[in-house]
Amino acid sequence: MSDSGVFAFELGDDLATRCGNTLTGVFVPGSRIALSAYRHVTHSSRDEPTENAGQVPVLIYMAQESTLFDEPVLRSVLAEANATFATLQQLGSRATRAEYVNISRAYRSIVRSCLEKLEQAKKSPEVQTDEARLQRLCDAIVVFYAAECLWHLFEILYIQSNQLVVPQLLDWARFHSPHAEDRATDLLLMGEEASESDDYWSIVKSLIMLGEIDVTRAVLSQNRKAGQTSFKAAEQILKSMPVYQEGYALQKFHSQWEFWHVDTERKIQSGLFATEPELEQLIRLVAGDSEQWDAGIKESQDFYEYLPGYLLFTKPTCKPFELKIAAAKWLNRWCLLRPEREQCSMNRMVSQLMDHDLRLFIYDAQKLNDTHWFSTHLIDLIHHCGQLKSYFDQNNIDLPALRHSMIYEYGSYLMTSHNMWQLGIDYLDCCKQEGQAAIELLLPRITLRSERQATKLINLARQRGLISVEREICKVLSKRSYDNERYGNALEWAIRSKDVLLVTAVADFILKHYSKTGCMLCPDTIANVGGRMFASPRLVFLSKYFEFYEFYRTRDFLSASELLVNLLESKITPDYFWPSLLIDSMPLLESKDPKIFAKETVAILHHIETDLVPIIERDVSKYGKHHTETVFKDYRVENVDEIMNLLRLACARNLARALIIENTLPVV
Amino acid sequence: MSIANVSTHYISEKVSQVRWLPEELQQSERFVTGSWDMDQNFVRLWRLQSNQYVTATDSEVDQIPRCMDKVRMEDDVTAMEFVDKDTLAVSCADGHLSVFNVHRAVEEDQMQRTSRSGRLHCFQRSQEPAPCTDLSVYGTDIATAGEDGCVSIVSVENVRQVKRQIEADSMALFSICYISQQELVTANRMGVIRMLDARVATEAQPKTTFMVASQDDKSNFVSSLAKHPMQQHILLCGSEEGSITVWDMRNLSYPASYLSAHKSPINEIGFHQKDPSKLFTAAEGGEVWMWSENKVLGCDYNKDGHSPWLSGDRVRSLVDVEGVLSNVRKSINSFDVHGSRLVCGGDTEAVYLVDNIV
Repeated sequence: MSDSGVFAFELGDDLATRCGNTLTGVFVPGSRIALSAYRHVTHSSRDEPTENAGQVPVLIYMAQESTLFDEPVLRSVLAEANATFATLQQLGSRATRAEYVNISRAYRSIVRSCLEKLEQAKKSPEVQTDEARLQRLCDAIVVFYAAECLWHLFEILYIQSNQLVVPQLLDWARFHSPHAEDRATDLLLMGEEASESDDYWSIVKSLIMLGEIDVTRAVLSQNRKAGQTSFKAAEQILKSMPVYQEGYALQKFHSQWEFWHVDTERKIQSGLFATEPELEQLIRLVAGDSEQWDAGIKESQDFYEYLPGYLLFTKPTCKPFELKIAAAKWLNRWCLLRPEREQCSMNRMVSQLMDHDLRLFIYDAQKLNDTHWFSTHLIDLIHHCGQLKSYFDQNNIDLPALRHSMIYEYGSYLMTSHNMWQLGIDYLDCCKQEGQAAIELLLPRITLRSERQATKLINLARQRGLISVEREICKVLSKRSYDNERYGNALEWAIRSKDVLLVTAVADFILKHYSKTGCMLCPDTIANVGGRMFASPRLVFLSKYFEFYEFYRTRDFLSASELLVNLLESKITPDYFWPSLLIDSMPLLESKDPKIFAKETVAILHHIETDLVPIIERDVSKYGKHHTETVFKDYRVENVDEIMNLLRLACARNLARALIIENTLPVV
Repeated sequence: MSIANVSTHYISEKVSQVRWLPEELQQSERFVTGSWDMDQNFVRLWRLQSNQYVTATDSEVDQIPRCMDKVRMEDDVTAMEFVDKDTLAVSCADGHLSVFNVHRAVEEDQMQRTSRSGRLHCFQRSQEPAPCTDLSVYGTDIATAGEDGCVSIVSVENVRQVKRQIEADSMALFSICYISQQELVTANRMGVIRMLDARVATEAQPKTTFMVASQDDKSNFVSSLAKHPMQQHILLCGSEEGSITVWDMRNLSYPASYLSAHKSPINEIGFHQKDPSKLFTAAEGGEVWMWSENKVLGCDYNKDGHSPWLSGDRVRSLVDVEGVLSNVRKSINSFDVHGSRLVCGGDTEAVYLVDNIV
């Protein structure tokens, strides 16, 4: 863990050195900063190239926040914590204390499981040969060990909030100082021979200082001298030690304990253990003897290691507010006896918890190199518990705002990490308007790698009512498909996007392609647009024109004729398509067996004169004749003038035939 | 039915596919997973082993999966199916198909990739690989569907040789399913289901298409297809809106029945292979449901060779539904059932094991 408050960067390359190591930086996508050398310019600086121009290379550096979670083993922490976090949000602020304790234990269980996996991963062959990865795993173990230790202590003092903290602190200290207990297991397996080990008494004393009464008794009972008076007396002292249980009468317990304590001291003074100096030292620890405990402190690793044990033998019914005083005294004592030991972050933070200095604790928690995993989830739990509300109020800390800020930052970090967006969105969901706005900005910027992924993003947006996000994603995919000449796919995504302009553009392309080549692109897609054709008038035209195209192709000429006339009447025909549409009528008009009746033929003539001719005239006057000849053409005819003449002739002939037939009485 | 027992195992990968290893006479204790959207994607072989950390409070979790072997994939894993009891076909988002051999052992099971196809799916214009989206196996034939709208058919014996390439659709295909030796159905992002003949080229393909039912004129893709294990003419489609449409392939004029189900897209739909009265669905919203034929009423129908799935509006009264998994809140992408055990996985980066499922 880093103790420094502010991080400093120095590039160290030639140009940067010449500029006095001043830098300029720009944020770039992916939570990175691009850094390069910089020399400050003022209004009085001469406007000319510097002496370095063209001489020294310009190097650009990318600074990126270090993160533990690129390591696969650690992803489980994120994923499991995400599930627990979601459970806590559902629980809200009105659950029972027991439920919050369960949540807290779930978080700790996640970290413990992770630590186990990290230890196993460290030993695997592929990690052993990868020095950088091995270092990352070791760093992660340090970080999460600290996180679990602190969370455990926090749970004891502030979430469970039992009045009797000593038994729980003993469990906590034992878990985090496993060496003595592990070694005791070895000693127990050795039987009588254990007492001849060099570290026998050292271990037994550690067990006492950790409050492991039962284990100590087991080890001593195997001692070769267990039958002697002094050992029997020691066994009796340990066995008869009163242990407070919840619900006991406090005053009665105090009387019993005081009697036991005085009796123990009396036995020591009577010289009962004089023949066994090591055993006497052990019993002096049990009696709370300062000299012996000082000796123990000198052997301890952390200031908090033996504090719970000391309380067990001096103040077993210590209450939280008393712990504050006891812890402060103990820390002073520890520092006096261990002047060479630097005050590390862990000791400081443990002390802050015991001192009820949560403000500093939370501040320091954010310095853990865990991408704010610990501080974010702990603050959220504190917020929901509600038990510390008065503390934060008294210290002018806006807890809801702090929680909001941390969850927002954490969620944003996850969403901008390229494959953790599904986890991140749950955190931003808890951040009200600001979180919603962040989701709205971040969701469309997730790199789209497949359509299946896109459907997931769209589903997330839809659940949250983010219509604009949904549409934006659809538009991106539509344009991507369009560029890939996958026009059916482009059309469908455009329809989903409900962007009239985009749908119109794709439909336009398809229609123009048809009028140029006679080939209908993506007929299968157009055939199935169905009711969604109303996304755009152009799409309606395309769908109906395709219907006409199919009727014609399958030689259903009467239906085709009817539809064609409807299209001509529809007022949704795009300008550029009039020649093609009218040319389509020619085979029908030329048919010996009239497919288009007199009335409809007149309508076609009408459209030639009132639609096609004015369009062409406007275009000529605006862009010139050449443009008109280029735009208004069909794959079947080179010249639009020719079209009109042929059409007029065809109409005239069809009209003549139709009139004759329609006005001839049926032959009986 | 006894109480189902669910255990959760975080594996640090987003699970896109999961399948039990086929076993004939005993409950399978091995499964494979494929991952997606990770920096490195893997196909992993897992085996259920006794939990050596059993404590009083954890007595329910008597077995935990342990990774036996893994093979790195070039891109997202998109579909997996066993061709036979030792051979696994895996499709990949880079447009390739891989074949794996799984070797069961007393101690350390092993898995290795035995062959890899050429690129089966690709966008014509840009020549970039198109994701393989689904695969279906019939005998030794494997058919793959892709985002390029094409279907490729290869034989497991020689995946480098493409037997048939069909330009099935002008839109991305999401799902494919063999309904007989020669016939396939595909589903696209519009919800259009198309019948294909595996024996003929693109130009000669039949024009049979039908559209999945939808509550209104909204986009509604088909994300999963399932055929009935005993009655091959019954086809079930899971859709984007979370509904199930049932088709009788003998009469495609209209759907045989339609069921509203989940509120989010159905990601996988499938029958229990040995007990076809049980259908399972997994949804994007994090639920896995079991649909059971109502035995009391169902037996009369079964006598006549009918199926409750084809009973139109009456299907609701003939089929019961219950939640197998709920409150997961993130997508369940895949599941598989074998015997009385269901395994599923998804975007929570976890695998869920459900015992006593039937």
